[in-house]
Amino acid sequence: MAEVTTQSQATSSTSYSFREYCEGLNHVEWTRGTKAKQGHFVEILRDIQRRGTLDELVLACRFVSEGAFDPQSGLTGRLGARSQGLWVSEYCGIDYEKVFKPCRTATGSGSEAIELLLENMSPPSSKSDSTNKRPRWTLLDMEDAFGRMARARTSSQKKELFDQWLHELSPLEIKMALRMLGGGSLRIGFETRSVLQAIAAYQESSLDQIRYAHMVTGSVGETARLLFEDRLQDASFSLFRPIAFMLASPVDTVEAIDWSAVRLEEKLDGIRCQIHANADRIELYSRDLNPLTHSFPEIVSTLAKSQNLVGYSFVLDGEVLAFDTPSKKILPFLELQKRLGVKKPTKKLLQDVPVVFVAYDLLVIDEKECFDLPLEQRRAQLVELCSHAGIAYSRDFAVGSSQMCTQAFEQALRHGNEGLMIKQLGSPYAFGQRSQHWQKLKEPEGSLDTIVMYAHAGSGKRGGLYSDFTLGVSVIDDDRFSESYIPIGKAYGGYTNAELARMNKEIKKLIVEKFGPTLSLRPGIVVELEFDSIQVNSRTKAGYTLRFPRFRAIRWDLGPDDVDSLRDVERLAQAKSAIKRPSMDTLGESAPIIMPGE
Amino acid sequence: MISSGGHGIFLQDFGLSLDNSHPKADVVFVSHAHADHLPRNRSCAAICSAPTLAFMRKRGYKGEALVLEWDTPTSLTSIRQHFGLSPSGVHSHSEATITLYPAGHILGSAMIYVESEDGALLYTGDVKTPASPATEGVQWPNHVDELIIEATFGLPIYKWKDTHNIQQEMLTFAQETLDAGETPLFLGYNLGKAQEILHLLQPLKHRKMIHGGGYPYCEIYENAGFTLGEVEPYDRATCEGAILVGPASVLSSGFASNVQRLRIAQCSGWAALGSRRAQNQLDRGFVLSDHLDFFALLEVCDMLKPRKIHITHSPTPDVVAHFLEERGHQAQFLELSMQEEEALDG
Repeated sequence: MAEVTTQSQATSSTSYSFREYCEGLNHVEWTRGTKAKQGHFVEILRDIQRRGTLDELVLACRFVSEGAFDPQSGLTGRLGARSQGLWVSEYCGIDYEKVFKPCRTATGSGSEAIELLLENMSPPSSKSDSTNKRPRWTLLDMEDAFGRMARARTSSQKKELFDQWLHELSPLEIKMALRMLGGGSLRIGFETRSVLQAIAAYQESSLDQIRYAHMVTGSVGETARLLFEDRLQDASFSLFRPIAFMLASPVDTVEAIDWSAVRLEEKLDGIRCQIHANADRIELYSRDLNPLTHSFPEIVSTLAKSQNLVGYSFVLDGEVLAFDTPSKKILPFLELQKRLGVKKPTKKLLQDVPVVFVAYDLLVIDEKECFDLPLEQRRAQLVELCSHAGIAYSRDFAVGSSQMCTQAFEQALRHGNEGLMIKQLGSPYAFGQRSQHWQKLKEPEGSLDTIVMYAHAGSGKRGGLYSDFTLGVSVIDDDRFSESYIPIGKAYGGYTNAELARMNKEIKKLIVEKFGPTLSLRPGIVVELEFDSIQVNSRTKAGYTLRFPRFRAIRWDLGPDDVDSLRDVERLAQAKSAIKRPSMDTLGESAPIIMPGE
Repeated sequence: MISSGGHGIFLQDFGLSLDNSHPKADVVFVSHAHADHLPRNRSCAAICSAPTLAFMRKRGYKGEALVLEWDTPTSLTSIRQHFGLSPSGVHSHSEATITLYPAGHILGSAMIYVESEDGALLYTGDVKTPASPATEGVQWPNHVDELIIEATFGLPIYKWKDTHNIQQEMLTFAQETLDAGETPLFLGYNLGKAQEILHLLQPLKHRKMIHGGGYPYCEIYENAGFTLGEVEPYDRATCEGAILVGPASVLSSGFASNVQRLRIAQCSGWAALGSRRAQNQLDRGFVLSDHLDFFALLEVCDMLKPRKIHITHSPTPDVVAHFLEERGHQAQFLELSMQEEEALDG
């Protein structure tokens, strides 16, 4: 049995309610300009200060930026989108498939569809005009409710808790609570960075100090608590609390780069990973700061030896790569993909897909933080540490011109890597930011000529136009299939308005059948589809999916016979895998990875 | 009896086309003067309401039109005679009685009611109930056998608030903006929505400017007795500090770009969707639609109890049909091929 209480009813009417908080956030959403939004959020905080507790101030900062749970708590309370939809449909007395799903498609958001349906379709006994009579939950009640949801084991326990929400919270509160529970954005245009600025303004404190506190605590709520308790100086880095990663921006124009002020590395195609190590413990964290340790036991055991060699703690930023150690070759990402999300890899998988960690930045060494050191100093210490401890690290190098950069780029592709990273000399490690100090140079991996199989009606701005397209490759000469074309991806961007208008005109001539918002089409229109990479996906008919597919061109000059085949897709995928990946040993000075101590 | 397709709906037995001109049609009924409902043939024989004809003339219609008064049954034969058509032409036409009812969508918008020995058919065109404020209201016939009704907002996520409440919010928004020394811009389609906005803001005795494309229609509203206030056509040099009204396309055209600080409000049924807000960088969204909402659609069908309901202009006809069937109606989607429509703001 899930615990269900109605403690909220005991709450005095003068205390600050979750409903007021959500209405305040709605106001923030409807305010244009970061400064003005911050101003409104500060007003929310002042209101809570007058009528609530310090704990509630902390929650107000957490809920808006991180969602229901402190990221360091390890709690999650996800409710499946389908469960939410089914339960709301049941409550409103509507058909999930026939009504809820089209509403979700039209709004483009499950939680928004839920809000609107609850507004319009709630059973008469609980109509929104009686919202004011509903109990008012405080932020503490809400935290408690989130906690129960996280602890609920079974679907029926979750449903029981959710039913209580449906009966006691307003539609707006439910939308916000679901977004908080999901841990994603509240979509009010007010994110962590702004929250930190707002609390700095609220307490008239130093933003740098707050940012630092946020970085080392990894928690907006905790940062707010330290700030409100005037203990910011207590914020200090501690091992095994992952730090938000520094991210790279795409290169704008190569010509604009001052080559004397940057260092380059080949961009490795692996899984981003942060490693914390001391004498007792080694932990790996993913880009979203979740533990990866158990997925890569061989990295942990190798690092244990390294740590013994140096004898002090460190935090590294780098990449996990599929890597064949005897031949010293990087294996394709398609291989590494087999280990993605595998929490306890089998012995066989460990043998089939060996991995290695390649470091490229140093954040902490011997309990000293290095974030503020310039890149070249961090690099120097990284090289020293890695050489000493036998940890693989990326090679960095300089080029003198755009032309040399192009050569280096092509070489990186020959090595089977994605492109180049260009890092600014003198720059700090800008944790948690997509900084201009790191730029990435990539090219789409390839393109395919595909056939438009289905057109899907757009919603909102593109309502009345077919704006999303399912694209297929040919299997006409393929014995494995009886059909002519099978889907390879869905794309909804990369075209101009004029092209979309022409497309809409042309598809009318090709309609075979209409299923609600979807048209099934005769083969006729060819689209050149660009993508970042091809991934194996056994759940699709083709067996592959494209990463970030988008229109490169509508090929009015081509016809259905010109469409690429599934064999072509397989060849491309295999070609990527089959790039003769050189052994690091044979590359000498140009090896993208340096493997010390062998 | 009804055929539909790329030329809109065609009532073959009567040689009558309902919005858009079918090549075989003798007479075209124009429900209202929005571009997606106007006949492509600018000189076809048309029947419509008086304001609709006035708008059509401003939009380049050159043909001969017959204006029908509201709620005044007219025989098809006399209409055909008016256009010099034989009472029984190439295809012998059945006799019918034609009546127009106001549709509450924009000024002049009409529903057509066709009574014949086959029964009574009502085609709504675009319809709003309760009616939009700057219209002749909405009026329904008593008995309908076949109903052709639009369902632009055919999902239960769409339910409009009372226009009076929206008006109060709009007045407050405009006043607060002006008090802050800033300039309010209301987005609404040049014909219909723009004049409705002006009419709703009329209690604010403040100078107003409307996009040049919408200005010529204002006098037709004034002539019909709808006061719009002190309205001038948009003038870049003097627009700062006025209440501005223009279609959504002005956002990308440099309209009022010399104004220090604009506060922009969308006025559309689509403002009900949050996903559209962030995209457009709007200050406010007023859910002010000139189409009926989902619940009004169901109520109309329950009230008229037609034998058969045809749904048009809906991205989600299956949902509407599902609800209508649950309430014991027989409903189906009437496919009109998607036109390249001028973007209306719903």
